[in-house]
Amino acid sequence: MDALKAALVLFVACLLQLSVLTEYKAFRSASIVLVALLAIALLRGSVFGAIAGFATGLLLDTATLGTLGVTSLLMTLAGFWIGRYGETTARDRFHAPYLSVAVVTLLYAFGQVLLQFMLGQPAPAGAAVHALPGALLLNLLLTLPVYALARRLFPPAELGDRVREVRLLG
Amino acid sequence: MGCLVLASLVLITVSFRSSALDGVQGVGATVLRPFETAADRVTRPFRDTVGWFQGLVNAKNQNAKLRARVAALEQEQIRYASALEENVQLREDLNYHAPPSVADFGKVDAEVVANAQSAIEDTITIWAGSSNGVANGDVVVEPTGNPDGTGALIGTVTHVTPDVSRVTLLTDNESAVTATDLTNTNVIGAIRPGSGSSLILDRVPKQPAVRVGDTIITAGSLGQGPLKSLYPRGIPIGTVTGRSNSDANLFQNIRVQPFVDLSSIESVIVLTPKKTG
Repeated sequence: MDALKAALVLFVACLLQLSVLTEYKAFRSASIVLVALLAIALLRGSVFGAIAGFATGLLLDTATLGTLGVTSLLMTLAGFWIGRYGETTARDRFHAPYLSVAVVTLLYAFGQVLLQFMLGQPAPAGAAVHALPGALLLNLLLTLPVYALARRLFPPAELGDRVREVRLLG
Repeated sequence: MGCLVLASLVLITVSFRSSALDGVQGVGATVLRPFETAADRVTRPFRDTVGWFQGLVNAKNQNAKLRARVAALEQEQIRYASALEENVQLREDLNYHAPPSVADFGKVDAEVVANAQSAIEDTITIWAGSSNGVANGDVVVEPTGNPDGTGALIGTVTHVTPDVSRVTLLTDNESAVTATDLTNTNVIGAIRPGSGSSLILDRVPKQPAVRVGDTIITAGSLGQGPLKSLYPRGIPIGTVTGRSNSDANLFQNIRVQPFVDLSSIESVIVLTPKKTG
């Protein structure tokens, strides 16, 4: 059920990203897809985050006729890493989604430039750095509503659900 | 996780080095198209409302300026009509063969289905592909940019599938177009992306005078060398908004504002070469 909900949320986020956000200059650097993916990964863990990231990246690359796999790779890594953070130290921390979005926005931009450079395509690091403050601000603003929605759709698991193994001591 | 990273790397390699996945990608893009159109339709009223209020704020201010501009353009139109008539007559008399112009191309109308503009690349996806006669390298213009209906330049087609194509915009880092000044055709340079939405007319020596307000158009093929320009001559690109010189630079620094707002394109015209013979 979670997988279906995640697929729907990320699909709608992709449509919003491609059809609406990029039409406005002010919002062009925002990535609602990345924010939605991180929110889901934070709430559902690393494996879920990595799979969701891979599928979302593939969808974006397909829709934009970009080089297949580039966005998938970056989003898989982002989903896995933030999912891992969610499974460990980020539990019930208020700042976790904001910190995740800020750090991943930064790393995603540099990852994109690095991949373009490695593929021998134009990799304007200056333009990426120039767009970074706007992207950071907009993604952080999007985090509040997107994470609130994700929390309603993917409520954090109860303690009993989380504990899979008990080691008896003594 | 490892499997997914590996799968991504395999996809990158296959997609980058061959066209084996183009068909699959084209089918995927075609399948996604109705959803993108639906999203566009659903959000259109909200965007129109925002646009309407923005327009209202500027309308009064623009009205007076536009009235003055219309009066000036009417005068100019009369002069141009006379010059055009003379030009046609002289061409006939001299049996002059001009480089290809927009009239020598077929036109394919296409709707924009996805907008992938970012700091790294500026591309859009359009709903027309090889089944409509679109091919790699075809020139893309805006439908309503020019009085003669040719439209202002947007970019070129860089990836084609049967139903959808990717267009690389003028503001993309890979883009470069040979351009000239409409009022001084001795000025030949290359239009390259500038900062933000602006462009730069590069490689223009300091000597030919370029004035602020001049119109920049595609230069087309200059008739020299084996490689012809992809762009027919005379497609409007933008207006010169500033120029500067520095002792350290051999060329002028000319800033050009494109006629088209490349961030919000809804439909385009692809110029396809007419088949001969």
